[in-house]
Amino acid sequence: METFFFAIVALVAIVSGMLVVKCRNPINSALSLIVTFFCLATFYVMLEAPFMAAIQVIVYAGAIMVLIVFVIMLLNLRTETGSRYTHAVTVGTIIGVLTLIEIVYFFSGGRSGLTGATGGLNTETIERVGHTELIGRSMFTDFLLPFEITSLLLLVAIVGAVVLAKKKI
Amino acid sequence: MVNGYPLLTILVFLPLAGALFLIPVWKRPEWLRRLALGAGVVELALAGWLTVRWQAFQQAPGAPAGFLLWEDLPWIEGFGIRYTVGMDGISLLMVILTAFITVIALAVSWRGIRERVALHYLLILVMESGIMGVFLSLDLILFYLFWEVMLVPMFLLIGIWGHGRRIYSAVKFFLYTMFGSLLMLLAIIGVYLVHGSETGSYTFALPALVNTRIAPDLAGWLFAAFLLAFAIKVPLFPLHTWLPDAHTDAPTAGSVLLAGLLLKTGAYGIIRFGYPLFPQAAASFAPLLTVLAVVGIIYGSWVAYAQTDMKRLVAYSSVGHMGFVALGIAAWTPVSLSGSVLQMVNHGVTTGALFALVGMLDERAETREIAAFGGLWGKIPLFSAFFLLFSMASAGLPGLNNFAGEFIILAGSFRVSPLAVVLAFIGIILPLVYTVRLVQQLLFVTERQPLALADISLREGGVLAVLALAAIYLGVHPAPVLDLLKVPVGLLTGTP
Amino acid sequence: METLAMPAINFAAIMPETILSAVAMALLLVNVFVRSEQKAYLGYLSLIGILVTFFPIVAGWNAPVELQSGFNGAVLQDNFSLFFKGIFLVSAALSILISDQYMQREGCNHGELYPLILLATAGMMLMASGTDLMVIFLGLELLSVALYVLAGFNRDKLKSNEAGLKYFLLGAFSTGFLLYGMALTFGATGTTKIAGIAAYVAANPMITGNQMFLVGMLLMGVGFSFKIAAAPFHMWTPDVYEGAPTPMTAFMSVGPKAAGFAAFLRVFMIALPAYKPEWSALLWVLAVLTMTVGNITALFQQDIKRMLAYSSIAHAGYVLVGFVAGNAVGTAGIMFYMLSYAFMNIGAFAIILLVGRKGEPNNNVADYAGFGFKHPLLGLAMSIFLFSLAGIPPAAGFIGKFYIFSGAIQAGYIWLAIIGVLNSAASVYYYLRVMVFMYMKDPVEEFDWLKVTPAHALCLLVAVAGVLIPGIVPGYLLELAQKAVFF
Repeated sequence: METFFFAIVALVAIVSGMLVVKCRNPINSALSLIVTFFCLATFYVMLEAPFMAAIQVIVYAGAIMVLIVFVIMLLNLRTETGSRYTHAVTVGTIIGVLTLIEIVYFFSGGRSGLTGATGGLNTETIERVGHTELIGRSMFTDFLLPFEITSLLLLVAIVGAVVLAKKKI
Repeated sequence: MVNGYPLLTILVFLPLAGALFLIPVWKRPEWLRRLALGAGVVELALAGWLTVRWQAFQQAPGAPAGFLLWEDLPWIEGFGIRYTVGMDGISLLMVILTAFITVIALAVSWRGIRERVALHYLLILVMESGIMGVFLSLDLILFYLFWEVMLVPMFLLIGIWGHGRRIYSAVKFFLYTMFGSLLMLLAIIGVYLVHGSETGSYTFALPALVNTRIAPDLAGWLFAAFLLAFAIKVPLFPLHTWLPDAHTDAPTAGSVLLAGLLLKTGAYGIIRFGYPLFPQAAASFAPLLTVLAVVGIIYGSWVAYAQTDMKRLVAYSSVGHMGFVALGIAAWTPVSLSGSVLQMVNHGVTTGALFALVGMLDERAETREIAAFGGLWGKIPLFSAFFLLFSMASAGLPGLNNFAGEFIILAGSFRVSPLAVVLAFIGIILPLVYTVRLVQQLLFVTERQPLALADISLREGGVLAVLALAAIYLGVHPAPVLDLLKVPVGLLTGTP
Repeated sequence: METLAMPAINFAAIMPETILSAVAMALLLVNVFVRSEQKAYLGYLSLIGILVTFFPIVAGWNAPVELQSGFNGAVLQDNFSLFFKGIFLVSAALSILISDQYMQREGCNHGELYPLILLATAGMMLMASGTDLMVIFLGLELLSVALYVLAGFNRDKLKSNEAGLKYFLLGAFSTGFLLYGMALTFGATGTTKIAGIAAYVAANPMITGNQMFLVGMLLMGVGFSFKIAAAPFHMWTPDVYEGAPTPMTAFMSVGPKAAGFAAFLRVFMIALPAYKPEWSALLWVLAVLTMTVGNITALFQQDIKRMLAYSSIAHAGYVLVGFVAGNAVGTAGIMFYMLSYAFMNIGAFAIILLVGRKGEPNNNVADYAGFGFKHPLLGLAMSIFLFSLAGIPPAAGFIGKFYIFSGAIQAGYIWLAIIGVLNSAASVYYYLRVMVFMYMKDPVEEFDWLKVTPAHALCLLVAVAGVLIPGIVPGYLLELAQKAVFF
């Protein structure tokens, strides 16, 4: 049942992901992207990470996508002609298909299965402590430094955006 | 060290210091010429003093046998690289040749170089330092360093002051040599690692590495890499194609230095490093070397005959003469090896002189085509006399220097490879053909074009007279030179 | 509610990064009060910051192990990372020295330049000392985001915009590879700590059969290869190098590459020593491809910035040779090489920058005709850099190559060393070409616009010293590099 559900969501995610690239109208692309984000949120739920799912929906599908759609509408972008960057489509397709076949072959060998190592968390812990708290805890213990670096990263991104985009600096 | 003075180090770095002194006066050509010549003469005096005093020196403590002067300092200890310079009879001869030819080169470019004078003299002096280093270093990395250092000035000399396709020739020269020397670098590292894993002491010192036992296969490859680098420089037959271009397009001083000194570094490298490091491999390569040498002798002379440009002619004759040197090395007997070293000196003197003469003619007439001249004997007799003398020396006329060298080489090689010697004998006759033709066309037939030519000046006359004295002296009385070579050659060939 | 057990933090382990970030943030504030023609002061302030950062680096050398590690094993400031941090600081300082003149000339001397450089440097440092995949990834992102902006810093120039955008797109792409690889590796081993991965691999030898783990490692390798611009992942380099403002090209040609190598080395050598034969076989191919593609393509370049871009690809190939060797000599060689590369490459770019003027970058090789005689000292400096790049003694580039090839031969990779050396011989040609134009062609221009500011002169002086001194007496630096090897 779970596998079946996963397959459906994955299919939707891939198709909408392709639509993001293929759509000529930017609005359609943006809307497809929202669908992709929702599918990702569904995956998080399936992986027993409800907090991540919520964040995914609120931040990405909500806030960021709204901004993107706003910008597209404000700038009044016309539909792209779509024929400018097609010189490598054939080669790209061939390489892509070959890679796909290779991946399918590689992963369907099933010599030792794809079981990864389990970390310190399991369903029982998550239900007992709570998913949000677990994330918070690891962020202030194991991943304290990465968490702090992220703030620097955001700072750089903001400064960069200002430098590149502001009319007069 | 002599009386606590690091004479060899001074010998290596004195020209470099002289070059630095040129920088403050870079805008005054007159001063530059005198200063540079002064530095060259001081260097020559030092080398001369060493030669005169040579018999009085004792074997240096800690030095390998035969090395009377020896300086050894730590340099890059992490790798076992040391600053080791040493001098035996062969190095001494090469050093004095270097100092001598450099002075000649400085003197012949007195009038010809009018632009960028400072850089020209600076490069010649830097190159002298590099060549001195090559002839004196006994540490493989130090040797490699100097080997590369002497490349750069020659590249610039050809490229900046050359004629014709100067840039093409300069780049070709550089790339050929670089290609060979990089493979040699790998071989150097190879020997180093083999010796290190064998004895546990990682060092680049030649005296230690000589005793390394290397597996025959590996030794063959390593020797091939060394031989390739040196054969390009000598140049041996199929690798010679850079030489006519470089010689032809180089300025006079460049040609003199190239023929007189740079070619010798290749032959010296085989004698000092190639054979002693890999004696067995060298012995198995000897037939190949002999064949290439003989082919070079005949081919060089043959092609020289077909040349219409005098400089190209002399350049191809160099291929032939250096073939004799290679033949003597390939035979590796005491007599042939002495002959080779002697012939290196001889070739430096005669070919240097010929290039200087052609350069003088080129300066006056602005052409080097043989067909443009004629009847010079009547117009500029002094020049013609010198030209005749050096042409005959180059052709191996008995009593002049090349004859002595070539004869000793052939005599020494005969027992080892009689067939090669017989063939090489043709190589003695062929030069006679093209030189006689050259002399006849240039000096004696009637004048083809009315050229206003001045005879040689006092300065030029002086340069040529010194060279002529050297040529005659070496031809008539080469015994002192051979005496110098006796001990080191005996040690190298294992027949003391 | 149980209390949070805070990890052992040990600020000493991230002191250099902390100082740089603090200075960067302070400069952002100061920037508001500095008028636009005086932005050079921000440069001087950032140089002071860099000088201060050298103190913890020197002080941390040979520190006891418990002082090296911090944040629960997320970072390890060992000698290895300290040496790389030194390289980053040197390259940042040299780039800052040449920035102001160029940015003023091109009319884009915005004060944000210096904080961005400092933060990028902090990112590199985190890559070098990170022992947690997350830290390495975030350091890489910090570096990359700053670099995207720096590449597109000249907003009014189309080429610069193109460079920024292209770098961003391909950089994001490569980051995707890297992150996906890290995710799969995490999935397979259950930890993001490099030491943890190593322990897991040692305890579960069967993991080689696990495709998830293998693909994870491969993807990480691909991600790193993008960063170090190894062929066939090098396509972004020439366009980005050509379009970016020249001082930033200088900056991004050295530091980020060194940082990529530092992280690459640490992840593969520590987490996967057991599978060295497999990954070194892959890297063997990568090294040969990178050297050959870089050198051959560089032969045909007319634009000197593009030529140096391809040459930098080739140099990444030489460094990969040291990586393949995988022994102490090879690794120390990589470090020595990257340090000397910092001096020679930034030095060369400093000259390139001088030859251009506003609106006329003069980047064609033919624009250098007669340059060596019009400006003898600059010509000499350029020759020294070019010879060092070509690996001709007595320049540091030679010792570096010698070191790396020794490592390769010692490890038995004779053919790799031979291919490397042949490549090196081919590379001489295109470096010589610049020399040929500088000295052997008649001058077309007078180069009278050329003005060397004191900061610029200082950069060149340091670069020349950094090329010649380690080239002639490399003993001390070699010793440092040998001590910095982590195994």
